Parts: sequence; structure tokens; C-alpha cells
Amino acid sequence: MTARRIGSVSNARAQVSVRLRRGKELYRRTRLGARTLRARVEALEAEVQEQRQLNRRIAELTDVVAELLIPIADRNEEQARTLLEDYRKNLV
Amino acid sequence: MTAVPELTSDVAANSVDDAGLSISPDVRGPLVVSLDGQYVWSLTPTRDGRLRGSTRFVSWPDALRPHLHGRARVAVTDPTRAVTWFDQEVRLGSGVGRIRVVDPSGHPLCVDKVGHLARAFSATDPGVREEILVGTGRALRNLREGCEVEAYLNYGLLLGAVRDGAMIAHDSDVDLCYFSRHSSPADLIGESYRIERQLRDAGWRALRMSGGDIKLLLPLSDGRTCHIDVFAAFRVGETFYQLGNRSGRIPTSAILPTSTIELHGHHFPAPADPEAMLAFLYGPGWRVPDPSFKYADPREGVRRLDGWLRGFRTHMGRWSQFFQGEQVGAVPRQGSDFARWVHRQLEPRDAVADLGSGSGRDALFFAARGRRSRAYDFSRPARGTVRKRASRRHLQLDVHPLILGELRTVLAVGADLAREQRHLYARHLIGCLDEAERHNLWLLARMALRGGHSLFLEFAALGEGVAEPVPDGLVRRLDPKDVSREIAAAGGVVEHLEVGPGEDMYDDPDPRVCRMRVTWRRQEEDR
Repeated sequence: MTARRIGSVSNARAQVSVRLRRGKELYRRTRLGARTLRARVEALEAEVQEQRQLNRRIAELTDVVAELLIPIADRNEEQARTLLEDYRKNLV
Repeated sequence: MTAVPELTSDVAANSVDDAGLSISPDVRGPLVVSLDGQYVWSLTPTRDGRLRGSTRFVSWPDALRPHLHGRARVAVTDPTRAVTWFDQEVRLGSGVGRIRVVDPSGHPLCVDKVGHLARAFSATDPGVREEILVGTGRALRNLREGCEVEAYLNYGLLLGAVRDGAMIAHDSDVDLCYFSRHSSPADLIGESYRIERQLRDAGWRALRMSGGDIKLLLPLSDGRTCHIDVFAAFRVGETFYQLGNRSGRIPTSAILPTSTIELHGHHFPAPADPEAMLAFLYGPGWRVPDPSFKYADPREGVRRLDGWLRGFRTHMGRWSQFFQGEQVGAVPRQGSDFARWVHRQLEPRDAVADLGSGSGRDALFFAARGRRSRAYDFSRPARGTVRKRASRRHLQLDVHPLILGELRTVLAVGADLAREQRHLYARHLIGCLDEAERHNLWLLARMALRGGHSLFLEFAALGEGVAEPVPDGLVRRLDPKDVSREIAAAGGVVEHLEVGPGEDMYDDPDPRVCRMRVTWRRQEEDR
């Protein structure tokens, strides 16, 4: 085999090797990207679910204010106790 | 009835044993299982089973297993009982006596569509059926006239009325819906709270199942209780939601204005287009009876409904089963070592509130020693047990509900306890709570302990190689450092902390148990 031919084969091998490395790197980044994307979507879903749960908290607080705190505001201690007991009994 | 000889005689293809049913893979449609002629369960092998060798195996439902001891003639047929796939005398479990799937009063039970044991309408005599229909009518009138919502008959009773002109034999409860004009879940929940109050004022016993559904309890003359579910239906954007878990596209014109439907001589409001509603609920094949039908609710819709409306009674069902089952019998009745430890630290006249009192052993211990004692628990069966035991022992003990995932009860109980001078006691409670529930507990303690009393905690602590505590899946270990951080963030001070060998809820040894005494700032220190 001539020196030129040896050099040519050697070049071709180097190019293949570079392409293989790039291909592996691309594959690795794609896999990592997919995992990262999945993790981000899962985190977003969890955050959205947290926000949804606020609806119940808002309703609960509104109910306590409207049905308990306001009526209790100008009652005496005995009336307040009765109101509190009635409110509690109607919850569960 | 036609037997299918080439299948029933082929034991390898169709068989029944302690684990479940093995059916030929050629059998595809819904099946009905009877024991000594009593319907107990429906299944669809292709959905509920898995291939195992040359057969498709379906395991017995968990709810049915405790009853499967003895002998019975097991029949597996199609829903019309025209085709038999298995019909033989079988010995299961202990093999002693005849298998009876009945409630404590002897009424026949079957597995309902959500896997619980319930009394089917087919096992209900006509007089009691009439009571159910009258009760259903009363609930609808209360909803439409008293609560002023557009309520209508739905699910099983609607299906029975439209398809069969009768209640469905395998159904066991009543489902009503009302169409809410609210599109904000917060407003919808507020409306549901108002409806619940008005129904209670109208004389109903009611349980809150989620922010959008209420269960009414209708006592029947045969001793059981019929459940009437009142489900909210509403739109958010383009999507229609209807509790249990349905969501999708159906025009409002298919629901309103309501029509009228007749069932066993009673007339009930129904969706404007009942057939469109039934197709929405059960799919296009709704006209074909399928006792094994299970809802295939859209996943995204279920996530939304869970987020908006649920989360405060996630484990309540399992705890109720625990307190109604055999396991609770293994919980000792005398006061725990922790209760004695706390008792020694208190003044003789100090009062105590036991949070998460369970079977009541420690609340009763304190009451028996002359303390003003109060018990709180979220489980109705647990509260019932505590009341009975207090009554039998002639002990003065108030028993109240407390749902730590439901802010209203937390604030109401906190406000109540703030007016009293009581220590708080919580043994093996915080390991049963999620983070949000623990935060509500610290909030309650902050409200109740402004006068300087203490919160006493005992819980299973995290450690190397230590097994999870019991009951399985309902309690877990916590890191005392994390608990201390949460308490500090909530304004509490951990006055005492010790970790060492202790006992679990059955008083069996637990190598790593934490005890804490916690106080909150006294009112005077704020001034």
C-alpha cells in the first residue's frame, strides 16, 4: 500500500471516529434532554396541582369568615360558644 | 341455562380456587359470579384479568376475600345467565360450613362498581325499594326547592329507568346531580357548603366526600342505610365536569331544562336528553347490560377534580375499614405507656384533648383518672367505638370530629379549644398526616395553646434499618429534626425531645420512637 493510500485510509478512519463521537454526544444530549423535559413537565404538573388546591382553601376560609367570624363578632361569650358549636356540628 | 360442555368440563380452562378464577381466554364479555345462587360479583376477564398459561386469571376482589371460607356452588355465567362457564361445588379457605357473603344482619352483599361490599337492589324487598324511591324524591325536592339548584336523577337509577324501566338489580346506591352555574371551583365549593347546610336543616344526615359531593344517609326499615350521593356538575371553559370523575363534551342543552322520568310509579327530574347523558356516562354501548362496567374517566379531568376538590379524606376509607375490622381488636384497651408518661407530668386537675384518639384507649385513660378529657378523630367508626366504650365504663368523655386536612374543622376546633385550658395529646398521629395536615395541626396547636399549656407528641422516628410502622401504608416514620423545624416555623418551642425504644400502636416494641413536649408563646409574652 502506498503512503498516500495509507494516509487516505487513516483520514477516513479519523473522520468516521469524529462522526461516531458526535453521534454519541448528540444521542446523549437527546436522552438527557428528554429526561430533563420529562422532569420539567412533572414539576410543572405538580405546581399546577398545588394551585388547584388553593380553590378549596379559599372556599374554606371564606366559609369560616362568612359563617362564623362575622356572626360571632357582636355576640356575648355564651352566644359565641353556641354559634361555634353549631358551626362545628354542621361541618361533618 | 345452557352449559358449554367443552369448557365447563375442561378444568384447566375454567377453574375456581382461593386465588381467583381461571377462565378460557375465549371468554370475552362481562361475567357474573354467584355463590349458592346469590349474585356476588361481576367482572370482564379481558379488562380485569391477565393471561396465565392457557387461561386468563382474575383474582378475587379484596372486599370479598374475608368471606371466602367454606363450601359453595360457584356459578360463572353471562349477565343474562343464558350461558354457563363454570358451575361446580367448590371448597375455599378453611372449607368449613357454607360460604355466606352477608352483612352482620344476614342481608346478602355483593361487590359494587368501586370494589366495596354493598347490598344490591336485587336483594331489597319491594317495601324497602319504595322507601328508597320516596327518599330519592325527597332529596330532589329539597335540592330543587330548598337549595334552588337544578338537580336531576343520574347514573344507575337513570340508566335503569331509561333502559329497563326498573332499578338495576346490581346497583346499590342512588346518584343525584345538580348543574351549578359557577365556573370557578372556589365558588362551586362555597355553593356546595351552602347546599349541605340546607340539607342538614331539612333533616338529612350528610357526609362531605369532597368539595363537590355530599353523601346523604337514608335509614331504611330493614336496618341498613341507603347512600344518596349528591354530585356537582359544572363547566370550566369548554369542558363539562360531573362528579364522581366524569369530564368531557356534552352540551348544556342535553341537561337543561330538566325533563321528567318515571321509575316504579315515581316521577323524577332527569337530564333534558337522558340518552345523551347515558352515552356520555357509559359510552355508546350503554343499552347493553354490563354489570361489570367500570368507568374509564379521562385522566386529565380526574387530576383537575382531585386538585380542585379533594385531598382532605384520602385515607379516611382505609382507617374506617381498620376501625370496623378485626385489626382494631388487637389494639390494647388500657392506657399506653406514653399516656402514663404524660399523666405524671400534669397537674391533677389539668384537662386533656386527645387528637387522633383512634380507639380511645388514652382519652379513656385520662377520663378514668378524673381529668376533663376530650377525644378527636376523623373516622366516624372510631368515634362511635370511643363513645360506646365511654358509655360502658360510665366515663364522661366528649367525642368530636377533627379532619386535619379540612381547614374549617381545624379552625373551628382551634377556636373552641382556645376558650378552654387543655393540654393537647397526639400519640402516633403525625406519622399518619401529610405535610399540609401537619401544618394544620401546628396551626390548631398555636390557636389552642396561647394560654401556656403543652402539646405532647409521640411518633415513630426515622432510623437506619428500622422497618416502617403499622398499620401498613397508613403510618410512616418521621425525622424528629424535620418535625422540630416545622414546629419552630409555626412559632412553637420544642421544650423536650427524646428518642429511644418505645411501642407502636399495638404496644409491640418499636426500636425508635420520639417523644416531644411543645409549647407556644404565651399571650402575655406578646404584649
